[in-house]
Amino acid sequence: MLNRREFLQTSLVGSSLVSLKSFGPGFLARTALAAPTADAPGAKDTILVVIQLTGGNDGLNTVVPFKDPLYGKYRPTLRLPENQLRKVNDELGLHPSMTGFAELLQDGALCIVQGVGYPNPSQSHFRSMDIWHAASTKENLTEGWLGKALHRLNNAPAFHVAMANEPNWLALQGGPFKVPALSSLEDLQFRLPAATGADRRAQRDIVESAVKRPAENPLLQFVQQTALNTYENTRRLREIGRNYQPKVPYPQTGLGNRLRLVAQLIEANLGARIYYVSLDGFDTHAAQANTHANLLAELSNAVTAFFRDMAARGHRDRICIMTFSEFGRRVQENGSRGTDHGSAAPMFLISGRVRAGIVGAHPSLEKLEFGNLKHHTDFRQVYAAVLEKWLGIPSAGILDGQFTPIDIFRS
Amino acid sequence: MVLQQRAAADPRWAWQPYRPDPKRPWNLKWAGHLYRRAAFAANWHELQQAVQDGPEATVQRLLQPGPNQAAFDRQMDELAESIAKANNQLHMRAWWLARMLRTPFPLVERMTLFWHNHFATSNAKVNNVGYMLQQNRTLRRYALGSFADMLQAISKDPAMMVWLDTNLSKKGKPNENYARELMELFSLGIGNYTEQDIREAARAFTGWEIRNGQFYFNRNEHDDGEKTVFGRTGRWQGEDIVRLCLEHPACPRFLARKLFRYFVSETLEPSPELLEPLAQRIRETNYHIGEAVRMILTSNIFYSEHAYRGRVKSPVEFAVGLIRALEGQPSALALANALENVGQRLFYPPSVKGWDGGPAWLNSTTLLARNNLAQALTSCEDPQFGSRCDPVRVVRKYGRNTDEEVLDFFLDLFLQGDVSPEVRTRLADYLRQSAQFRWPAYWSERDRHEHRIRALCYLVLSQPEFQLD
Repeated sequence: MLNRREFLQTSLVGSSLVSLKSFGPGFLARTALAAPTADAPGAKDTILVVIQLTGGNDGLNTVVPFKDPLYGKYRPTLRLPENQLRKVNDELGLHPSMTGFAELLQDGALCIVQGVGYPNPSQSHFRSMDIWHAASTKENLTEGWLGKALHRLNNAPAFHVAMANEPNWLALQGGPFKVPALSSLEDLQFRLPAATGADRRAQRDIVESAVKRPAENPLLQFVQQTALNTYENTRRLREIGRNYQPKVPYPQTGLGNRLRLVAQLIEANLGARIYYVSLDGFDTHAAQANTHANLLAELSNAVTAFFRDMAARGHRDRICIMTFSEFGRRVQENGSRGTDHGSAAPMFLISGRVRAGIVGAHPSLEKLEFGNLKHHTDFRQVYAAVLEKWLGIPSAGILDGQFTPIDIFRS
Repeated sequence: MVLQQRAAADPRWAWQPYRPDPKRPWNLKWAGHLYRRAAFAANWHELQQAVQDGPEATVQRLLQPGPNQAAFDRQMDELAESIAKANNQLHMRAWWLARMLRTPFPLVERMTLFWHNHFATSNAKVNNVGYMLQQNRTLRRYALGSFADMLQAISKDPAMMVWLDTNLSKKGKPNENYARELMELFSLGIGNYTEQDIREAARAFTGWEIRNGQFYFNRNEHDDGEKTVFGRTGRWQGEDIVRLCLEHPACPRFLARKLFRYFVSETLEPSPELLEPLAQRIRETNYHIGEAVRMILTSNIFYSEHAYRGRVKSPVEFAVGLIRALEGQPSALALANALENVGQRLFYPPSVKGWDGGPAWLNSTTLLARNNLAQALTSCEDPQFGSRCDPVRVVRKYGRNTDEEVLDFFLDLFLQGDVSPEVRTRLADYLRQSAQFRWPAYWSERDRHEHRIRALCYLVLSQPEFQLD
């Protein structure tokens, strides 16, 4: 069946646009405006899954420059031995926990953007997280980049699949509606005041028939259409909640469970373009080695399972997973076998349509800035690529300033 | 879908007072409409009284403080004080909801909500419950009074000064944030000023600071040189800039358009000609908002198909209206939490532009959340809400006994009968069929009866018409 977007693409892009515009305001003009966006790269109902690594991930022990003699010098106890790394090339290797990511790389689905940060980096968790969330270094930040993006995504829902007591992240603020936080499919079930099966069926029948009556008021039609979608969605979600069989097993971890829920929501086809998930615990000031290994294993295993599950359902080229953390960590380890707050770090993007491999040089271990790695790529260049090339919406007005999208997606 | 239309109403007719006639009789439909816009929906008693009293007397009553207003306000002020001391933002949100749920003067709360969206300030940045409550009090104080006084007061309001950085604006380094939004969002609208006007005006607000939680004018940080704003030159102070905005011809028109959208329609784009009489009234009364609101609520256009069901209820309007209609008293804390997933967090508007409103309120998750909230409130099975908003109680109170009586009662109470005969038939069918269902064996006759009443109430609330204002 031809969906609306495909319809627009086949019928409106090209010469017919000009003539349609002359009809003036109203429906046709609006569709005509929508058409170029539909034609933009990545606009075909692509999905973005953002994974926030809360606490400041140690990028240096995530993507490791093992050939650099300075690495061992700065990390006397935390140094990861070369022979345990998942080699990316002759100089770089992924943390030994990240077998899944190494496979995704082989598979052409993992892009590693090196040296990402922003000028005059803040070393406060809260301030730096706000900067990443708002895509701005202005003093007072109240709107998030994803919240603002929602205004341009045609009323598409978005979901924050959250742990208990997780904050309402700034990244999701400033949208047309508050992004709901959910922790299970239960949160999306239709709760009828029904006591028995027959009661439920009778009630459901009445509720659903109400949206199919002809209506003249366009606003009422809009409510009916929205309600119709809602009922269809909840039906699909119920089915999926009962019958969802992952194509690959998910690890029994927090992130594994959250991404499994994201997969179910995607599979239910609710029209959401943005999903937000976080993994906490990266603030490794002491005894970092084991903690960090476990966290990266949780990340890598869960994301790999999720991506493979999605790919097996035909979403390989429709999904992009992006990880970020508020900062990397100090190059020189501290006296407690841990690391203090730093700045630049790598970001991961996982999709069937990324340019697989390493993008950008590993930041120099010689030319440090207050003991921290210096960024060479602004995180907003990555956001710009995600917004423009992946979601197909302009980044101006969402990011604080003009940022050239970094070349990370295949067209 | 065509949601924006041009209003093709004759301006002269539109603003003449509505006089009921056989073609447009004053009845339940218009009484319900008036109460949805000028209050948070009506309960059964209010509906009956409105029908009896007629439009003029009802509007007059809605524009006045209610019985025991002073005692109510005092009680709420005391509560606010202790919430401010504890800096508890959840309690602050619940406090305002409690006000809306119980106030004897609902129009002033609705207008306070309107101004909260107009001067949209978020505690996400202000991060001070005391300041937010102080602002809320200011908005309420002028809600139906002088916009001119309100604009001056809000310019010196600590929450606003933090929100738009007035307190950081120093001589030689003016911060333009407040000057810009003052013109763009608060008084004139884009296109009625230049960037140069903003730069000059920003200088006039330098030296405006907060000390001990109050506005303080710091002469040493104030730029007292000459400024030219809207072509008028003088050693303008911040108060002068506000006055210049109020004297700008665009200001009454800007307010008229916003009030039209709030009270008349979110989907009709009024022409300048249609708005002019309302703008005129605002100008003539020197920005007396109560008079503008009265003009709208008594006008022909307000009681016409141009206005009828031409707005989407905001989440707060949806929930508070439903509860007030049922005369319920659920926990405001639970309601504050529940409303987050319906998409509206009071005191946390998404940006200085406020909530988009209209169709943007609804998508498949927010609509689901609305239905589930209606279910949680009325089923008497939700652990948070309990049975404090019980449809059975209201049905008993007004002596509705038979299935037919109960059905008509709910349809009149929530929708004023505005549903197709088909819906009524289906609902009647439910009542008939459900009388024969096999219910759990341990249910008493009374359990069965009450369950069917609550279910019926929910089914009426789930009608798409109920989402519209």
